[in-house]
Amino acid sequence: MAELIVKDVALRLGDNEILKGASVSVPAGEVIALLGPSGSGKTTLLRAIAGLETPYRGSIAIGDRVFFDAARGIELPAEERGLGLVFQSYALWPHRTVFDNVAYGLKLRGVSAAEIKTRVEKTLSQIGLGHLGARFPHQLSGGQQQRVAIARALVYEPPVILLDEPLSNLDAKLREEARAWLRTLIVTLGLSAIHVTHDQVEAMAIADRIVLLDAGLIVQEGPPTALYNEPTNLFSAEFMGSNNRLDGTLVENTGGRATIELFGERLSGVSRTKANKGAKATGIIRIERVRCASSAGLNRLKMELKAPMYLGERWELVFARDTLTVRAYASAPLEPGDHFVEFPSEALWLF
Amino acid sequence: MPIVAYRLIVLGITTLAVAAPLSLVIYQSFLTAPFFDPSARTGLLAYSFVFADSDFWQAFWTTIVIAGGMAAIAVPLGALLAFLMVRTDVPGREYLEPLILIPIFVSAVVIAFGYVVAIGPVGIFSTLAKDVLGFVPWNLYSLLALIVIAGLTHVPHVYLYSAAALRGLSTDLEEAARVSGANPFRVAVNVSLPMILPAILFAGVLVFFLGFELFGLPLVLGDPQDVLVLSTYLYKLTNKLGVPSYQLMAVVVVAIIAITAPLVFMQRLLLRQAQRYVSVRGKGLKTKPLRLHGWRWIAFGAIALWLFITVVVPLFGITLRSFVVTWGEGVKLRDVLTLDHYRELSDYPNVIRGIINTLGIGVIGGAISVACYTAIALAVHRWNSGWTRLVDYLVMVPRAMPGLVAGLALLWVFLFVPFLSPLKSTMVSIWLAYSIVWLAYGMRLVSGTLLQVAPELEEAARTAGANDLRVKRDVTVPLIKYGMLASWLLIFLIFVREYSTGIYLLGPGTEVIGSLLVSLWGTGAVDLVSALSVVNVVMIGVGLAVAVRLGVRLHG
Repeated sequence: MAELIVKDVALRLGDNEILKGASVSVPAGEVIALLGPSGSGKTTLLRAIAGLETPYRGSIAIGDRVFFDAARGIELPAEERGLGLVFQSYALWPHRTVFDNVAYGLKLRGVSAAEIKTRVEKTLSQIGLGHLGARFPHQLSGGQQQRVAIARALVYEPPVILLDEPLSNLDAKLREEARAWLRTLIVTLGLSAIHVTHDQVEAMAIADRIVLLDAGLIVQEGPPTALYNEPTNLFSAEFMGSNNRLDGTLVENTGGRATIELFGERLSGVSRTKANKGAKATGIIRIERVRCASSAGLNRLKMELKAPMYLGERWELVFARDTLTVRAYASAPLEPGDHFVEFPSEALWLF
Repeated sequence: MPIVAYRLIVLGITTLAVAAPLSLVIYQSFLTAPFFDPSARTGLLAYSFVFADSDFWQAFWTTIVIAGGMAAIAVPLGALLAFLMVRTDVPGREYLEPLILIPIFVSAVVIAFGYVVAIGPVGIFSTLAKDVLGFVPWNLYSLLALIVIAGLTHVPHVYLYSAAALRGLSTDLEEAARVSGANPFRVAVNVSLPMILPAILFAGVLVFFLGFELFGLPLVLGDPQDVLVLSTYLYKLTNKLGVPSYQLMAVVVVAIIAITAPLVFMQRLLLRQAQRYVSVRGKGLKTKPLRLHGWRWIAFGAIALWLFITVVVPLFGITLRSFVVTWGEGVKLRDVLTLDHYRELSDYPNVIRGIINTLGIGVIGGAISVACYTAIALAVHRWNSGWTRLVDYLVMVPRAMPGLVAGLALLWVFLFVPFLSPLKSTMVSIWLAYSIVWLAYGMRLVSGTLLQVAPELEEAARTAGANDLRVKRDVTVPLIKYGMLASWLLIFLIFVREYSTGIYLLGPGTEVIGSLLVSLWGTGAVDLVSALSVVNVVMIGVGLAVAVRLGVRLHG
């Protein structure tokens, strides 16, 4: 199977510029997560790939099969692209049984009845619903419906399967199980997939590579570890993980290191900005990287502990100084009062 | 691309069916003689003749007075009725709802006959009143009575739109007024009704517009007084000159459409506005009804009185009349009871044909019409194109043609187009006329159903590999089956009730109960008319009962 390549796709819905030029490539066998806040254009990009929305610029192709090319005026209708799409609402046809829902794609491809039967049953047993073929969608639980929707998109072996927030309609506990199940299924079957989600944990768990979108533009892409540990811009840094934000003034920025000043004290960290000294800068640090210390020292701020909160497996501590609030984790609660909070310089990104 | 071909074909046929009758009428109005007359020339002769006729202007002003009068009666009563039914704890609301809608579904001629035999000069209730009081305190054959009856029978139209708007309103505004010390009537007048003003305004324009479509009531009740409205003026024009004066009729039709078309357009604008106004809706809004306390039974009494006057009096009258030999002063019911009128129905082959044809047009014709409406609705469904606007406007054209007018226009089409002539004296002509007249209504029913199909269900089929037509066949149509069935039932009711559209097409082979009633009434065959009216009411009653039983919403 060839690589799916999306080049510079721009799309308008009404007067809204939803996509402003997005490029993504999905090599065979790879799972890509399109991650972003609501309104970032991730679902629209997926629908454009599926052929349900029409961009005004850019191109979409798998190998040498061109799905869409604005410059050449090519637009293959959705039904001729042969992709599999799983809808957020599952969109199972209520008037058809589970078997008939899954079989429809094969029927349209003129597959013989006997072969349809074997292939549908094989797919249904792969997703663990082999015994439910005769049921109607409304007789299934949410989790089962979601599996049927996936089976329906898989059965005709599309080159790429597109998943539009397939887990968002499940409740929290079920979602974690389904996430593990889906990842296993995709890896076992060796599928190429594009998975749209607004949940960063889901994206990191499922995808080989994450494409992060904001306001119709791709802001960063890479493997989950890179997105989490090496954000290249403020949006990525703040979107991934849970963070503390420290606003200060840049006093030094050379050789990949930078220092900001706040409350007359200096904090140094990894430079992610090209600004010169004197400019405003923002420091971002993941909550779990903040440490509590007993004495003053390098990259430490004196702060007052406001509220220790018990979260079960750990404590969350909220420190404050003037308008600055910092959250940190600890294995045991601390006494209220003044403490020193350390921001390790290798974990503090300065934008 | 087959879908494009399908869309263009459907669009083409619809345009032809809608535009042909209208263009023919306009063309005829500019001729000096009927279009088949070789001496016909183009000119404004017909216009100057009609506009010089004082009867025309008399009819014109009468129509405006009646339309305005009935709106003045129906709008406040309908809005108040909606408030009582939707917002308060009036007893027996669930039983009243279907009863309230009866006047919409019963033929206006039947209601009119019912009033004549019930409260006419020698009507059943009139003689009763004379026995008790010594005189009859009402005069059915007066312009005032005509306006009051037209107003009362159109209350349900206002009710439907006001009730729908009220159901979408949050109730805390009313509760706030109640807590501040307003009684239920003040709550309605000061808070609830002003909030749904756009819907009420729309209903007002609708009723005024329906005033121009009135035919049965003025024909039956206005005739003895020589009160003419535009539609009855048009009807009388046929007999007035002896010769077929098509050019004059065409001018009257053009005059009617010149008034109704802007009204239809206005309704469209107002409806949009009304829908925008209603912000909150949905089933999440389960609210406690406003407690009326002492007013409960007063309100119930008012609704019951209205139902008595508009439903019970005419229907009881016509039913009783169909079972008695004669009626007049001093007649004892025991002595005059009979079943003869029903037996006599079978003596008239045209009446028997009329009954069979009516059932046929309702059941079979209705099914074919719903299929056609669905075909049109599917053609524009999910079509991202400016052409869908054309369909919107096309649908509005027949809406501006009252049934009588549309029937006449269709008759001319059948006479004008040579290869259609053999169909003129078959039920095909009736079916075509009915389908065109009710195009807007049917389209609204079917599109309402189509709106409920979630787009993902169709998109899922597209990505699975089905082309547009396949998606419609495999997904969309199966999903709207129930909605189509419900539409069929409603169209059945409408087609069985219809009387004015078939009048000009009436002939051997094209008899339907509605048009037969009008023509039989003209001959004074009251016995026959009563029995046939009851047959018609029973058909509609059965259809309504089935609809209510199946939980079909009686309004599109």
